[in-house]
Amino acid sequence: MNTARAELRKLLTLPSLRRTALLTWAATVLLTYAYASAESHGEPLGDDAALAPLGYTQAGFLVLGVLAATSEYQEGDQIRTTVLAMPRRLPLQVAKALALAALTLPVAAATAATSTLPADGATWTPAATAYLTLTTVLAAAVATVVRSAVPAAILLLGLYFVAGPLLRAGSTASAAYLPDTAALDPSHGAVATIAWTLAALTLAALTFRYRDA
Amino acid sequence: MVNLVRAELRKLLSLPTAWVGLVLGTLVAPVIVLLNAPYTRRAIADGTLTDLSDLGLRDLGIGLIGPMVLGVIVVSSEYTSTARDAPGARQLTATLIAVPHRLRLLGAKTTALVLVVAAQAAVTTAATLALTQLLHGAHAPLPAPARIAAAILYWTLTALLAYAITLITRNGIVPLTLLIINSSVVSVSYLLTKVTDLASYLPDIVGAQMFIRGTDFPVEVPPMTAGLVMTAWIVALLAVGAVLFQRRDA
Amino acid sequence: MITIDRVNKTRSRTRILSDVTFEARPGRVTGFLGPNGAGKTSTLRILLGLDRPQSGTALICGRPYRELDRPLTTVGALLDGSGAHRARTARAHLRWVAASNGLPDSRADEVLEAVGLTGDARKRAGRFSLGMSRRLGLATALLGDPAVLVLDEPVNGLDPAGIRWIRGFLRDSAEQGRTVLLSSHLMGELAEIADDVVVIHKGRVVTHGGLAEVTGAHRTLEDAFFALTATEAGGPW
Repeated sequence: MNTARAELRKLLTLPSLRRTALLTWAATVLLTYAYASAESHGEPLGDDAALAPLGYTQAGFLVLGVLAATSEYQEGDQIRTTVLAMPRRLPLQVAKALALAALTLPVAAATAATSTLPADGATWTPAATAYLTLTTVLAAAVATVVRSAVPAAILLLGLYFVAGPLLRAGSTASAAYLPDTAALDPSHGAVATIAWTLAALTLAALTFRYRDA
Repeated sequence: MVNLVRAELRKLLSLPTAWVGLVLGTLVAPVIVLLNAPYTRRAIADGTLTDLSDLGLRDLGIGLIGPMVLGVIVVSSEYTSTARDAPGARQLTATLIAVPHRLRLLGAKTTALVLVVAAQAAVTTAATLALTQLLHGAHAPLPAPARIAAAILYWTLTALLAYAITLITRNGIVPLTLLIINSSVVSVSYLLTKVTDLASYLPDIVGAQMFIRGTDFPVEVPPMTAGLVMTAWIVALLAVGAVLFQRRDA
Repeated sequence: MITIDRVNKTRSRTRILSDVTFEARPGRVTGFLGPNGAGKTSTLRILLGLDRPQSGTALICGRPYRELDRPLTTVGALLDGSGAHRARTARAHLRWVAASNGLPDSRADEVLEAVGLTGDARKRAGRFSLGMSRRLGLATALLGDPAVLVLDEPVNGLDPAGIRWIRGFLRDSAEQGRTVLLSSHLMGELAEIADDVVVIHKGRVVTHGGLAEVTGAHRTLEDAFFALTATEAGGPW
């Protein structure tokens, strides 16, 4: 419990996380407005306007996860302090994931509500909140393996915004297996999101456990 | 100056992440053409794909992640911490000690980036178009040389856009996120064009009109004007970046 | 020859340097002495054109660093860390630096040998130990065989053999007529190699002169230093 509190405090005092959360929310406001105004012009932009803005601003949550995890390894090598203070790797990794989820949840809820409520999609709010939170945890797990912010961001953004859409366009059957399908279609891809997050967490825990800090 | 450019080229090409950008950017577009070939053939046969003039050139867009990564890391690698025990230590210190004249340094950096990206663009464009000819040559004529040159220019300008934004933010994550989201299938800039016609003049949208003939642009801009508008964006952002780089403490 | 003349620097409304003025002359090792946070690194960063002062000048051989052509052939500098990107190999790092100043590639291997890193040339800089990083930083400083050396805490992180080597190297450099400016907070170390001493405290130069002159009536340089910097309540801290 102390470990989770320490991890939460560490995340709360990172200015880059606050900035990312704020920017992500602001971008969601802007895109929600864009969708609403396109609709009122009589030319809707295709996808479900309640969720479509989140399809873009989930990038902010990916970055949030990446920054939370890589902050340990950059500038000053904080990870050394962390593992000296809390030497048991697995409980530490669990505490990290929980702390990040707890921190992300309110941001995810606010962002999800910003996008869903104006488009009469209130029923989607809980699902979208859960999706964004899981995505953040997944990103942090991947970044824990990569350990460096820019390469981790290239990898995740490339997968979510370049490879993912291509695979879905290439074969509709692949949609059910991709971690980001749930962003636009929560009823369809939820299982995949949860499975990918758990897989990434397991991989992160294992590397964190067996690799030199 | 030749020495400085040589040093910057070396610096860029000895970074592992640069090779990610180089390989990814060069291979993605040709591979997509190859993978999509059956669907494209079927679409041509069914008559659902009628406008074939952009075939090949349009597929290039997906590889833009390459020049974006290159443009960003040319700058961001200077700002990442180099020493475990000295958070303030960055490669930029070594760079400026070797080349204290900042504008000259930026000139060399820009030249090195342009050389690398233009070469990459030429290779990937040639590969993509050659594959398109091989697979669908009967239906799609080879685009005019001017359009091919414009596509290469678009790649290079995209790298410079990423580079200029990173010079301003001094951090790779912000420009990467912005640019990669914007290169996804339906870009944010494209969404904005549905809201206001002014968005048609955003650099990525207007720039694409240099070589794409498609009709889904709300405001049609002639290729020459399109090139000039995109160049103006990049010159303006580079100027801001250069002034900040000149003024800020390293 | 290094000339620093009335340099002032303010960062986010805190005065970091006030009228810092001193010289470092050819053929001599000048020690730049002060407690942590006194302004040593800030002064050296301004001297090297990394940061800008609000007023005052810092010249190397009569010219600001930013105006030097192929500066590495005039000045060799060592600051925090190695200055090498973590993903780059030691040799790749030295080679791009060499190219930027028109130096031949062979210099990279020569300086690697000079600092004893030949065996680690193909290792990535991020995998270097603290001592090895410092050696790589030093190798970078030596690339252009410069007449002026500016070193910030050069012995930090070096092993006894490294410290002994650098002491000999700096003495030899000065004897060959080079200008050597090194900062340190290790007074015993400085007293061993410095000819001249500049003491900085809270952003001001409190004294400068020959080692004997600064030590004065005090038993050691260390005693002199505490006498000079303990003028305010609480001492140098």
